[in-house]
Amino acid sequence: MVKITIDGRQVEVKEGMTILQAAESIGIEIPHLCFHPAFPPEGSCRLCLVEIEGRPKLELACSTIVQEGMTISTQSETVRQARRSVLEFLLAEHPLDCPICDKAGNCQLQDYYQEYGLFDSQFKENKERKSKKVALGKNLILDRERCILCTRCVRFLKEITRTGELGVFQRGLRSEIDYFPGQPVDNNYSGNLAELCPVGAITDKDFRFQTRSWFLQSGPSICPHCSRACSIYIDYHVGFPRVELDKYVYRIRARENPEINDYWICDFGRYNYAYLEKKRATKVLVRENGQAQEGDWDSQIERLVKKIKEFYLKKKTNRIGLVLHSALTNEELYLAKKIFQEDLPEVNIFLIDPPEGEGDNWLLTPSRTPNLKGLELIGLQPQKFPPEKPLTELEILIIFAYLPHGEDQYNQLRSLLEKSHFSVLFTAHQTALMNQVDVVFPTTLLAEKEGSVVNVEEKLQKFPAALTPPGTARSEREILLTLGRGLGINFSFYRQLKTPAAVFDQLSQDISYFRGSK
Amino acid sequence: MIKALEYFLEIIHGAWVTTRHFVVNMWFHTLNLLGIKTRRKGAVTIQYPEEKKEIAYRHRSLHRLLKREDGRPRCVVCMLCATTCPSECIYIEAAEDPEDDEFQKYPAKFIIDLSRCCFCGFCVEACPEDALRMDTQKIELAEYSRLDLLYDLEKLLQ
Repeated sequence: MVKITIDGRQVEVKEGMTILQAAESIGIEIPHLCFHPAFPPEGSCRLCLVEIEGRPKLELACSTIVQEGMTISTQSETVRQARRSVLEFLLAEHPLDCPICDKAGNCQLQDYYQEYGLFDSQFKENKERKSKKVALGKNLILDRERCILCTRCVRFLKEITRTGELGVFQRGLRSEIDYFPGQPVDNNYSGNLAELCPVGAITDKDFRFQTRSWFLQSGPSICPHCSRACSIYIDYHVGFPRVELDKYVYRIRARENPEINDYWICDFGRYNYAYLEKKRATKVLVRENGQAQEGDWDSQIERLVKKIKEFYLKKKTNRIGLVLHSALTNEELYLAKKIFQEDLPEVNIFLIDPPEGEGDNWLLTPSRTPNLKGLELIGLQPQKFPPEKPLTELEILIIFAYLPHGEDQYNQLRSLLEKSHFSVLFTAHQTALMNQVDVVFPTTLLAEKEGSVVNVEEKLQKFPAALTPPGTARSEREILLTLGRGLGINFSFYRQLKTPAAVFDQLSQDISYFRGSK
Repeated sequence: MIKALEYFLEIIHGAWVTTRHFVVNMWFHTLNLLGIKTRRKGAVTIQYPEEKKEIAYRHRSLHRLLKREDGRPRCVVCMLCATTCPSECIYIEAAEDPEDDEFQKYPAKFIIDLSRCCFCGFCVEACPEDALRMDTQKIELAEYSRLDLLYDLEKLLQ
């Protein structure tokens, strides 16, 4: 431990820390643009200058290691003056086209200009015109005028993805960011560059000119597209009073989580968000004489409960089939296990997941659902699908479908559905299966529910609901609780589980893995 | 009883005010007619809507979008007007002009919902491009349906 004084506060910090990190650890913010905690310091923006007693010149906070007895001031008049001057140089060529810049609103340069600058430029010369629209890859657009050459993008590609597509070309005043000939930034992590850029030089083609960032609200959630289950923010627009927007979710951003995804997410997770609002199931549909009609939740759930109860009383629960998927939260899988594996014996439980896709060696895994590990840990023992010996006697089929990655995996269910006596489908999306079942219930997606998942590295993550469910959709947890209570086999057990947290408490009492995890 | 008396007093008071206005105005009109100049002129009723009073230059009337020299709207879709609007009545959708390098962003939709607008003029003040003004001097905006009060790009550019 090293004793230092920052802005008159005496603190003890770990040895080997930089001044910037030390200051941040006690809540003093030093402005910086090129420094990012994921890379070694570069020191190219010169904005983090601080005054150290006994040193003749100002030093860079991002790359100076703290030493015993250092007295640092981050807010002295000299420092503020230096910051102003540095900002003035940075803005000498920066076009200040904030009104049309997608970064405006969460641009660090804009913030620092507000905080330290607010000056009229002393430069009389016209700003240099450079190309404003260079396609860096299929997802990115570079605006060279706005670039301040912090080289965060270059360092990300060199040190994190190790693909090294970008470099600084030319020298001095003419330096510019470009990709090496024939090597555009098309790796699976390119979307991170737009987020990483401290100014609006690299912007996202997908988000380009869609809206302004201050109209968006962010909901923390987790990415359901592979079993890494990265932490994300979902940015959505609540809309205007009289004009309906065609979009609700505008972008997905990475949420910092040092245990799983650091600061990054892959492009597969970042750009696959249309499923959140496209083709959603919003109404309970009941098929009578081949005609689909709108039904209501309570009476239809009661109908299902009655059917199951009938089979339970006749001790014919082996005629019930349940299809699950592993994009459900731990709480839901636990309830499913309680009801269909413990309360009702011999129910045929199947697991039908989207087919495996391509993975890469970093974040993206081949499996396309987030909670495969949780399913294993909870102890659900689904049969293989299709089963080895053909099932002919299934009379009730309860299907929880997961369709963001297509519905081919459910094709083999159709023959079973034709034979079944009563079938219900819980789905968040509209699908062809809807025409074959008796009742369709709309359910929620992971972004719309509260719960927890266990990712491929057996790391547990809890998350709140980020979005509101469409129409009358209810979460699977509520549905399963209603089923559990309705069946009445273990009524008092389900009655006390009112919130996701209560279910999780019960789960952690039952299964040792979840014990002690908050 | 006393209450009823108060009503009568008010009626008499009202009649007195009307008579006073009539007499004072007639007095100044007569003086003017006789060529005796006074500083004050008698009041004249404007025959609205056949006759219209000139509106002050700074009066905030119906919005209009300004055009550049080449006829395109000046608006660059920064949405600061929509941000600052207290009654949330402005809705803009951006589109990208692939050819123009300087003004890459242009409005594909620009809707002002006049049924919500409170004519505060914040949008005009917020505009960094001087693309929006409220100086058309049009104040008669009544319509038969609320939807007719949604002014789109075409109407606003006129």
